[in-house]
Amino acid sequence: MSFWLILILVAGFFMAWNIGANDVANAMGTSVGSGALTLRQAIFVAGILEFAGAFFFGSHVSETIQKGLIHEQIFAETPFVVVQGMLASLIAAGTWLMIASYYGWPVSTTHTIVGAVVGFGAIVGGIEAVEWRNVAFIASSWILSPLLGGILAYFIFQLLRRQLFYKKDPLQAAKKLMPFLVWIFVAILSVILLYNGLRNVHLKLNLASTLAICIGLGAVAALITFCLVKNIASTPLPEKGLSPGLAKAHGDLATVENMFSYLQVMSACLMAFAHGANDVANAIGPLSAAVNILQTGTLTASTTVPTWALGLGGVGIVIGLATWGWRVIETVGKKITELTPTRGFAAEFGAATTILLASRLGMPISTTHTLVGAVLGVGMARGLEALNLSMIRDIVASWLITIPAGAIPTIAIYTFLQLML
Amino acid sequence: MRSIFNLFGKSPFAALQSHMDRVAACIRLLPALIKSVEVRDPAQTERIAHEIGELENQADITKNEIRNHLPKSIFLPIDRGALLEILSIQDNIADMAEDVAVLLTLKPLQILPEFQEDFHAFLHKNSEAFEVVYKIIHELHELCEFSFGGIEAEKVRGMVDQVAFLEHEADLIQRKLLRNLFQSEEKLTFSTFHLWQRVFEAIAGISNLSEKLANRIRMTLEIA
Repeated sequence: MSFWLILILVAGFFMAWNIGANDVANAMGTSVGSGALTLRQAIFVAGILEFAGAFFFGSHVSETIQKGLIHEQIFAETPFVVVQGMLASLIAAGTWLMIASYYGWPVSTTHTIVGAVVGFGAIVGGIEAVEWRNVAFIASSWILSPLLGGILAYFIFQLLRRQLFYKKDPLQAAKKLMPFLVWIFVAILSVILLYNGLRNVHLKLNLASTLAICIGLGAVAALITFCLVKNIASTPLPEKGLSPGLAKAHGDLATVENMFSYLQVMSACLMAFAHGANDVANAIGPLSAAVNILQTGTLTASTTVPTWALGLGGVGIVIGLATWGWRVIETVGKKITELTPTRGFAAEFGAATTILLASRLGMPISTTHTLVGAVLGVGMARGLEALNLSMIRDIVASWLITIPAGAIPTIAIYTFLQLML
Repeated sequence: MRSIFNLFGKSPFAALQSHMDRVAACIRLLPALIKSVEVRDPAQTERIAHEIGELENQADITKNEIRNHLPKSIFLPIDRGALLEILSIQDNIADMAEDVAVLLTLKPLQILPEFQEDFHAFLHKNSEAFEVVYKIIHELHELCEFSFGGIEAEKVRGMVDQVAFLEHEADLIQRKLLRNLFQSEEKLTFSTFHLWQRVFEAIAGISNLSEKLANRIRMTLEIA
């Protein structure tokens, strides 16, 4: 094994560790905050699903970062430059992220690595080395993903308001609504996953049979939910000064929130899976670009992301989660008590669906920005008491500053690597 | 990346409720104030009036704190204007209590037996209207839990109607009081006569403002 191969593996692993250490908290923190999961359970569940997302679904976005950002043929004469560039990108992005998360700056992993790779391509290979069309698509997805997450979460929470909160008997309404929600949830999830999604499993299905399977799976899940919720009884809250009807409604709502904590665990799992699927690319995309060149010695026209690399990324994320991320989850969980299970479910469902869709399309987006958009969507539907809109400013700042912030250290490290030779 | 928890701001509803608690402290001293006038203890009247003034001042401070610490970038389930308006009406109620206290210390007054009973009933009705709207303000968290609709909103709407009814009842008593006051004009000096009139107006202000506050909350509900 060559010196460069070891170096690139270490850098990729470091980046994956970073992702697991910092970003997983956003997916799981809400469930810990609402009490739906204990910290221990959350870490266990997140570990499994992050790995599964990275391993089974991470190839789409990884390919975009590996092949879609820079026009590799420009470097056909000197393929080794790409290896150094990708290595420099990983080191620069990883270090910059560590510094930024230490100071609490609003930067996103995804934006940083895209900035790093694009910056390297533009400076070293010239402006024409960058696939500007793809970069424009990715940049637009950075704007669209929080919007779509917000819109979905808004409508999901609107549905909950009209169908649960505004009913005379919220518990009965919830018993009717929940199987339906589970149906949609499972159907959407399985469509995204099964329709040419899980490439590593080599499952070949046409559209019609995929749809049939998905609707069927949804129906089975709905039936199970129906049986589970059928016999749940409400306990009126023994609050003084409440009329019997209102005491029952308050008790109902508490029971409904409790029922939704199970759905919220599902949506948090989906978030973790989606996060693994999208963000593993930030480490594995550059890594596999470099590894391919190191193994073959040339630029091959059609490189796919090696399965073992996705596995490595998944393991890196899980180790990041286990060594540092749990602490962040604990902190975030303690501070987020506002997101009750119904609110958390609406926000996470909206965000996770958006992220999975983006992952399927190969778009590297920021999971945090999407979740912020989704929580704002719930707020717009009058679901939350107070939201800090300054987060929007942070997101816009992150769109603008991350390209140079990722690019400049990458160039510096690249130049350093050149000098070392 | 800064994590998602930065998105959650501090809700001003709790602050609004603590302001309302200070307003309530002013209103709840009024029966003792009237009692001291009734037993003709000017020193006691002075003391209670001073206390009401202090409490009103504290309410003012709380009000200004809320106003100054309400960042432009905060997003609430009711609009900013509505929140500030609610705060302002609450504060006006405390001002009314202070007005009553000041008026009663201007000169020693005697409650005429002709309207003593009605006067007590009048004060009681106004306090009752206030206590209902006080409860409404303390339902804000629950309202938000139900997303400003549903059975909780129905309950608050019922309370708003109750405030309106109490205000109307207070009006009826006020009319009766005024009639008695005008009929006893020969027993009163001009300044006493005028002072009583203004005391009635200030006390009536409590239920009027309570009704206004209740209606302002009513406008944030999502029911037809």
